[in-house]
Formats: sequence, C-alpha cells, structure tokens
Amino acid sequence: MRKLGKNSLLAFGDKYRIYILFALVFAFMSLFAPRFFNVFNITSILKVISMNACVAIGFTVVMICGQLDLSIGTVITFAGVLALGLKPALGYAGSIAVAVVAGGLVGVLNGLLVAKAKINSFIVTLGTMTVLQGAIYQFSGGNSISVSTPDAFVISDFLGKSLLPLLTPRILISLVLVLAMEAYLRRTRSGRNFYLVGGNRNTAWLAGIPTDKYTVAAFVLSGVGAAIGGVLSVLESTAATLKLGENSLMYVISATIIGGTAMSGGKGGVLRSVVAIFTLEMLYTGVILFGLGNEVKIFIAGLILAYVVLYEAYATYKHENDLGRRPELMKELEARRMAKEKA
Amino acid sequence: MADDRSLGSSSVGRLVSAAGVYGIAALFLAVGALLQATGIIRGFLTIQNMLNIVDAAALVGIVAVGMAFVTYSGHFADMSVPTTMGFTGYVCIELLRYGFIPAVIVALAIGLLIGLMNGFVVGKLKANPIIWTLAVNYVTMGVIRLIWVNKQIYPDMRGSGQKAVELFDNIYRLRFFNLIGLPVVMLLVLVVAGQFVMTKTSFGVKLKLTGSSLRAAKFSGISVERVITTAFVLTALTATIAGLAVTSLSRVGAWYNGAGYDFKAVTAIVIGGMTLAGGRGSILGVLGGSLIIGLLNNVLTLLGVGTFSQDMIRGAIFIVVVGINAKSLRSLGRDDA
Repeated sequence: MRKLGKNSLLAFGDKYRIYILFALVFAFMSLFAPRFFNVFNITSILKVISMNACVAIGFTVVMICGQLDLSIGTVITFAGVLALGLKPALGYAGSIAVAVVAGGLVGVLNGLLVAKAKINSFIVTLGTMTVLQGAIYQFSGGNSISVSTPDAFVISDFLGKSLLPLLTPRILISLVLVLAMEAYLRRTRSGRNFYLVGGNRNTAWLAGIPTDKYTVAAFVLSGVGAAIGGVLSVLESTAATLKLGENSLMYVISATIIGGTAMSGGKGGVLRSVVAIFTLEMLYTGVILFGLGNEVKIFIAGLILAYVVLYEAYATYKHENDLGRRPELMKELEARRMAKEKA
Repeated sequence: MADDRSLGSSSVGRLVSAAGVYGIAALFLAVGALLQATGIIRGFLTIQNMLNIVDAAALVGIVAVGMAFVTYSGHFADMSVPTTMGFTGYVCIELLRYGFIPAVIVALAIGLLIGLMNGFVVGKLKANPIIWTLAVNYVTMGVIRLIWVNKQIYPDMRGSGQKAVELFDNIYRLRFFNLIGLPVVMLLVLVVAGQFVMTKTSFGVKLKLTGSSLRAAKFSGISVERVITTAFVLTALTATIAGLAVTSLSRVGAWYNGAGYDFKAVTAIVIGGMTLAGGRGSILGVLGGSLIIGLLNNVLTLLGVGTFSQDMIRGAIFIVVVGINAKSLRSLGRDDA
C-alpha cells in the first residue's frame, strides 16, 4: 500500500473522476430538477442512452487504439434505415443481419484504409462519412422509413416493456454488451492488447502483436456497435428518421473523453464511457426539465465537447511545458533575485 | 508525383505539377464535350453552362483557398467552416438595417474572431484540429439556434434600407461585362494573393516549414503558434466571404447555408495536389481542384445523377486521392502522412 496523503487522494479522484462526477450530477438533479427522480424519467433516460452506449462500446476501443471514428453517426442511421427498409423484402432476421454486417463492413473498410493504406483515421472516416451520408439518402429517397406491420409492433412492445423496474429488454441488451466488452478488454489477453497497440504501436509490434489486425478489429467493433445501436433504436421506435445518428458523434466523443479515454490512445474503458454518457444525458435532460428549450440543450452539448477538448489539450500542453523543469531551482533563483533587489 | 519539398525544385517543376490538375480538368471538359457529341447529355458546351460551372467552382474555391493554408500548415482541415458561413450570413442580414458596409465589417470581424480562437487552441494548446473545429462547429450551430430559434431571416424583413438590400443581393449577382460574376473575381484575386503569400513572402516560407516539420520550424525560431493562427484566421475570413456570397445567392439566412462546404473544400484541396501531411502543394493546384469539383458536379447533374449519389462519388474520390497521395509519399520514404 502506498502511504495515504494528498497525492494519493488526488490520484483516487483522478482515477474515479467519472464515477464521482456521475454521483454529483445525479444527486444535484435528484434534489433540484423537477420531476427528475422517478422511475419513469430514469427509465426514459436509460432508453435514450442505450443507443449511444452501444455506439460507445466500439468507439472507445477505437480511441484506445489511438484512432478516431467520425463515421459512427452515419453508420447508426445507415443501419437503422437498412434494418427497416429491407424488412419487407428480407424479413426482420435478414434485414437486421444485413444492417449489422453492413456496419461491420464499413469498419473493415475504415480499418484497412487506416492500417494498410496508412491514412489518418479521421481523414478516412471523414470520407466514409460522406459516402454513407449519400448512401443513406440514396437508399431512403430522403424520407424517414417506418414499418407498421403487426410483428413490428410486437417486437417494439417487447423491447420497450419494463421487465424489472428500470430495465427494458433493450436497456438490458445494451448493458450486457457493455459489461461483456468491459470484461473482454480487462480480463483477456487479446482485449488488453488493444491498450498496448494504442499506447505504443512500435513496442506492441516488436512484442509480436499484429498491430494492423487489432486496428482493423477496433474499427469493425466500432462499426458493428454503431449498427447494433441504430438497429435496436429503430426496432423499438418502428421508424428510422434520417436524423437518428445526427448528434451521436458529438455526444459519444465528449463522453468518451470525459470518461478518461485519452485521445492519444492506450488509456480508458468502455464502462467509463457509458457512465459518462449517462452523466451527460442527465445534464441534457435536466436542461429540458428546467424548462429550457432544445436549442439550449444542443448549445450546451456543443459547449461541453469544446470544453472537454480544450481541457484535454490544455492538460497536455501544461504537462509538456512543465516536463523537465525544476520548480525548486526556479524558486531558488527567484529568492536570489529578491535578495539582490533588497541589497 | 512531383514532390516540391525536395531541394532544388524549380518554379517550372512546380508549375508542371500544378498543371497536372488542369490536365484532369481538361479531361473532364473533353468527357463532357464527348458526352454531348454522342447525345447523352445536352447543354454542356454552352456559355451559360460554363458560367454555371465557374460560379459553383468559385464558392468552393474561395473556401478552399483559405483552408489550403490550414492544410499546408499540416493541420488537415477546418471543420467549423459550414456554421461560420451560416452564422456570418445571418449576422450580415440581421445588421443590414444599419447599412451594408457595417454589416459586412461585423460579419468579417466575427469570422476573424472564430479564426483567432481556432488558431489559439490548435496552435498554442495543440488540440486535435479536426475535433476542435468540429466542436466549434457544434457550438456555433448552438449559437445560431439560440439566437434565431430555427427561424430563417430574409434581407428585406428587418427594416433594412432598400440600398443595403440591393448591395447585399449584388454580392453574388453582380456581373462584370454581363459575364464574370463577383465571386469569380474574388476567387481570382484570392488565388493570386494566396499564391503570392505562399511562395514569395516570409510567412509563406515559415508556413511551409511548419507544415513540413513542426519541430524543425519551432527549433529554428519560428513562432509556429502565430503562423498556425494566421492560417486559421485566413480560413475563417475566406469562409466568411463565401458565406456572404452563399447567403446573397439564396437571399435567406439559414443555418444550412454552408453545409457541405467543409468537405467540398478539403476534396478540392487534395485533388489539387496538396497533401494532408502539410508543406506540399500550391494555391494554383487548389484552384484546379475547385474547377474539377465544379465540372464533376455539372457533368454528373447533366447525366441525371442525384445530389446524394454525387456525395458518394465525391467521398470515394476523396478517399482514393488521399490514399494515392499517402502511398506516393511512402514510396518516397517520407512516411509522415
């Protein structure tokens, strides 16, 4: 055991920052926000975040690998549109399979372009994002797609009905996926390898880890996760709007960084990202509950992302600035200067 | 592929590598002419259509010329361009009642502030340029929604004077000799100025070194923060100019006025031979890239390809060009893409 002191307390605070933040926001909202602390409201928050939670599963892994995936928002919408649009032709089993596989294929494409063609990940995914955007409109003709057959409503009812207090099947599925991924990343060798690849690519490669394979795998996880999130969401709402994944990129990036996943890679965790998503969603819900409009919510979401990026950049900047400096030497020089001035 | 970072590259060599883009543009023109000759498309080789192409290319080109400075400095792209365009358009229309000149000046000042902020955060604090400017894009979108609550505004509805409205409409519609539109003239001026700044001034040289190797630039005493900030300011200013032109074209202030211009501009830049690794390329090439984007759009539209498929084609071209660039840099042994 390290000795207790100010530093270890700070380290504790840093390590569990997101959980502390979560508790604080939850307590604040429960105490002050009207109509916040009740089963109905918290269930509805959980329902909202269950889509982005699925998305964060893969996105966090991509970020742990030191890459970024900007295409998640369009993958969500694309998968949602495919799942409902192909349903008349293929039935649910077929259309869902196609949607999830399509998400995976987008991931394969992203991953190969990043790992093999060695293009910057956010440039690649910017390109695939544009292609997918076109594909979504092309496929849907620019309109929302909805299904209104009896079996669609049966599935929708099943996914949305509370089994236990707070837990509907859709929330449960998301939760299981998140916990499974967390366990995989923490407890298995191949899961931990993602951290090594992100922490130092060359060292990982020298240690015999096929870094390219892990990079591609991370993007595939991201594509599949986003697709599952989109599919589950449209299955419950029985309609796929073209704005389904519009804000997810903003929400998921900010949450992942707040959750403590470093943009440079090698650090972070899926569960932390999801807790951060929960925290942010409570804030956004709070904004609405306090009677401020949707405009304010979007503005605040943007501000939070800007603040988070700024904070991360500033912390790195300060760290690099202080690197190799000897504060005690500066103090001594300062003292000498003062003495000189006195004399 | 020519690499004008290598020592001893003459200005002739640079011209040749830029001329490659115009070769491709000529090829597109030839394909269009061929398609018309075979009767597949109609109305390609008319003066009106050529003007349409040039006008469309001008708007993309104005943004691209500014953003090229950010790309050249090794910071990829400025994703805050779409809402910068939308926001400054809104502001200009809102302030038209105080006269045309003040409205334009305030719009430009706001563009300048956004550029300064981006430059400070990316240059000084070294934030990831794409993520930061994306965040700024969301924040500006939020500001637009907060102020105007999803309402669109028109130039003549805020009690603004007839004269100011007319001047505003003319930003896009003014034509010299009934042919060349004001945006085209602005683009040409910007291209000449940009090419001059990039190749003949000390700022251009510093920018090139910053883009080629940030560390080397820093260690040779260049204030890289200032260079990068200037690049972002130039981007924001040209985005503002393009934003005013687009708003003048549509005669309405709307948040979606600049949508898609970020990606179109980056595509024009990479097609124009500027690598995303920074430090390579030229403004003349970017002009060629913008022309190609304009031609591509025009030919595809005449062929009856929808806007959405055009997005897909443009995205695919973008990925392929960037991939080829990265590969050719690697085969040169400069694996920093």
